[in-house]
Amino acid sequence: MTPLQIALIGVLGLIGIGLYGLLITRNLIKVVVALQVLVKGALLALVAAGTASGKINLGQSLAVMVIVVDTVVAVIGLALALQVKRRMGTLDVKELSTLQK
Amino acid sequence: MAVLFIVLTIVMLACAFMAFRAKQLIVSALWLAGCSAILSLIMYLLGAFAVAVIELSVGAGLVTVLFVFAISIAGDETIEIKSIIPRPIALIIALVSIVLLGFMTISSLVSLPVTTETASFSDMLWQQRGLDMLVQSGLLFAAVLGMLGLLGEAKVPVKEKKTVSAKEPQATQSAVKPVAATPEVKA
Amino acid sequence: MIQALILLTIGLPWLGGLAIWITTNKHPRAQHTLAVVFAVAAGLAALLMLPYTSATPAIVIPLGGIFGALTFTPDGMSVFLSIIATVVGSLAVIFSVNYMHGDKQLGRYYELVLLFIGAMAGLALTGSLLFLFVFWEITAFCSFALIAFNNDDPKAVAGGIKALIITSLGGMGLLIGALIIYANLGSYQIADFLARAHEMPADVLALVAFGFLIAAAAKSAQFPFQTWLPDAMEAPTPVSALIHAATMVNAGVYLLARFFPAFKDVPGWTTAVMAVGLLSVLLAGIMAVVATDLKRALAYSTVSQLGLMVYAIGAGSVYASQFHLLSHAVFKALLFLGAGTVIHAVGTRDMRQMGGLGSRMPFTRTVFVIGALALAGIPIFNGFWSKELILEAGLEAEGALWAYIAAIIGAALTAMYTLRMVYLVFFGAPRSQLHAHDAQPAMKVSLGILAFGVCTTWLLAGPLYQLLTSTLPFHQFREVTTLDMISTVLTDLATYLALLVVFVGGLCWWKRDALSSITKRLQGLARMATNSFGFEAINRGIVRVTQNTAETLRLTQTGLLSWNVAGIAIGLIVVLVILAWGK
Repeated sequence: MTPLQIALIGVLGLIGIGLYGLLITRNLIKVVVALQVLVKGALLALVAAGTASGKINLGQSLAVMVIVVDTVVAVIGLALALQVKRRMGTLDVKELSTLQK
Repeated sequence: MAVLFIVLTIVMLACAFMAFRAKQLIVSALWLAGCSAILSLIMYLLGAFAVAVIELSVGAGLVTVLFVFAISIAGDETIEIKSIIPRPIALIIALVSIVLLGFMTISSLVSLPVTTETASFSDMLWQQRGLDMLVQSGLLFAAVLGMLGLLGEAKVPVKEKKTVSAKEPQATQSAVKPVAATPEVKA
Repeated sequence: MIQALILLTIGLPWLGGLAIWITTNKHPRAQHTLAVVFAVAAGLAALLMLPYTSATPAIVIPLGGIFGALTFTPDGMSVFLSIIATVVGSLAVIFSVNYMHGDKQLGRYYELVLLFIGAMAGLALTGSLLFLFVFWEITAFCSFALIAFNNDDPKAVAGGIKALIITSLGGMGLLIGALIIYANLGSYQIADFLARAHEMPADVLALVAFGFLIAAAAKSAQFPFQTWLPDAMEAPTPVSALIHAATMVNAGVYLLARFFPAFKDVPGWTTAVMAVGLLSVLLAGIMAVVATDLKRALAYSTVSQLGLMVYAIGAGSVYASQFHLLSHAVFKALLFLGAGTVIHAVGTRDMRQMGGLGSRMPFTRTVFVIGALALAGIPIFNGFWSKELILEAGLEAEGALWAYIAAIIGAALTAMYTLRMVYLVFFGAPRSQLHAHDAQPAMKVSLGILAFGVCTTWLLAGPLYQLLTSTLPFHQFREVTTLDMISTVLTDLATYLALLVVFVGGLCWWKRDALSSITKRLQGLARMATNSFGFEAINRGIVRVTQNTAETLRLTQTGLLSWNVAGIAIGLIVVLVILAWGK
């Protein structure tokens, strides 16, 4: 097994765990954690593809973009979670739904 | 070499999984930091030196500090673990997705066309992907504005209302009138 | 030039709607003025298209991929229908200036009416089947929103929802037909389909043909979908005149007329079309004779006349159906607007409470009688000429004597219920004390123009033929000029037979006291007619099933984050499966 194939298995594992966590969790902050894990999978995939095709610097540049964007997402997500806690009093996803039955 | 990769990958996946199993949010954020660290090590071993450093400092440093900050403000409340979607169903959805993804990508990864590139990392980042960097700066600006908007209006100090109450009555009265007028129009 | 005119015809009403939305309900006079200005401008733009008609698409906007190209083709039938839509539309808007005076939600009313006029013009002018469906559904939405305009009234809301569900289910027939055509021929263009219809396998073509027939029957309130139109009479009367008499219900007839060359060889199609038309004529005619609500009687009359048009297409004469469409649009709009004047004046729709209004509303009585004579098919007025053309076309269709007899009976029924309606409302002794004032100025304008049209549009027979033959390459028309038509109609024996039948029908009503023994024996039939021969129950069942399904599906909209994410993930899986399949 070449390192690249192992890295790819790692990517799939990260995406799977991130998706599973996103579906399971009930806490808004854990939702942000799940998104972070998903994005780490994407990062690893970019870098692995860069190494496999010889264009490692291109892969790294794209990975840097993704890191910046994902950090911004985390920041805004956490700020939203804070506001939700302040207004609605809870971070539980089930309580937050105001759709009429 | 391959063994090292296998071990590192397994540890990273374990950290990611523990991030969800943890009961307390702060512990969850710490497991995420660990996952970031291992990921940066893997990326270093694959040959991506610059991004490994960036990932280590941002993922394991900055994001963890953010989480700790947010959790300390929001408070660590206990939410029951029982999830809305039954666990087996979530497991099946996740497994099916990654099996399909793997099915499609594993074959393509080994057959990628190999070319050698000549640009160095800094040249690639600033010259060839210059437009990306420009857009990133715009994104950061928007993020800062968003943060100010989101966190700025949170403070509604009760004390300050008394000091400006001389100005306030007119403002609040004019605010009350339109509210009273709209129900009439709707009726 | 023609491109600008097409865009103006469709776009001016929409711009007008936007302008009315911007001037809010605080300036009703400005809203009235804007609506009239934009509607009349659209009518002028449509009329100006007449010299420029051609069979080639004037505007072609390629949209790439699966959407084909958005084309607008100003050929004879399209321009004809868009003229009717915009001109009758502007007359209805002029009428609304008085009728809707003082309404609280005037903006919403005008926006919807103008949106409808633009969409109807678009439906007529477009040459792409996919966009025909899009405009079809826009008109269905406007019709629903306008029927349920007084949304505090549960009857109006129920009528609107019923109309929406039934016409949309019919629209599915149109969409499925369009997609099948695209799958087989690779193009949505109507001209392509008409040229290459014979390339499609026979059973697929039959499927498309009957799908379109279902869509047309649902939209034009033909058998078996005829019960939504009487319930749609909860709409304000100018809306009834515009949408449910002169334009939207003609969309079904337009569909059948447009695609007739492609489907006429499908075995059983023309017979089915004739049967649908005739059943509508007879059933609706019987129901109109026993109706007590003035607008419902007119609605049944509309169904009956549309049935006559559909029958004409089935008998093979597209020209006769289009000519009758023109006459019917004018006299039916006149009748509805006249009924609107009466209802606006006395405040009730029940004919049993009216009576003797003619002396207090002379102008309305005159125009209403003109419209009624046209409907009954009395000579000089336009209804007579077009109805005779249809009856003669029916005689020439092969082996369809039963159809002709049924059509003649329909003509008798028409005369009967028309005379009944006119008498109950305007003549005789007043049955209750009702305050009645005559038509107001804007109403008089619309009514006068329409009455003038009723007396004169039959002279356009020759020009209409010229318009249709020169721009429709796939239809065959027999040579007709106005003088030809006059002489043919006046010298044909069938004409006098029809006139005799009409006279007999009128006589039956006149001497109804003497015939009371027969009427007593027909009481059972009358009771069945008031219950719409059981179709009401079927249609109510369809509506109930649809609403229950919608309520059940509401359970998927939980509002919970986890389920929404699961939905996204499942969508991702479906996409991945499709992509993996492609490999």
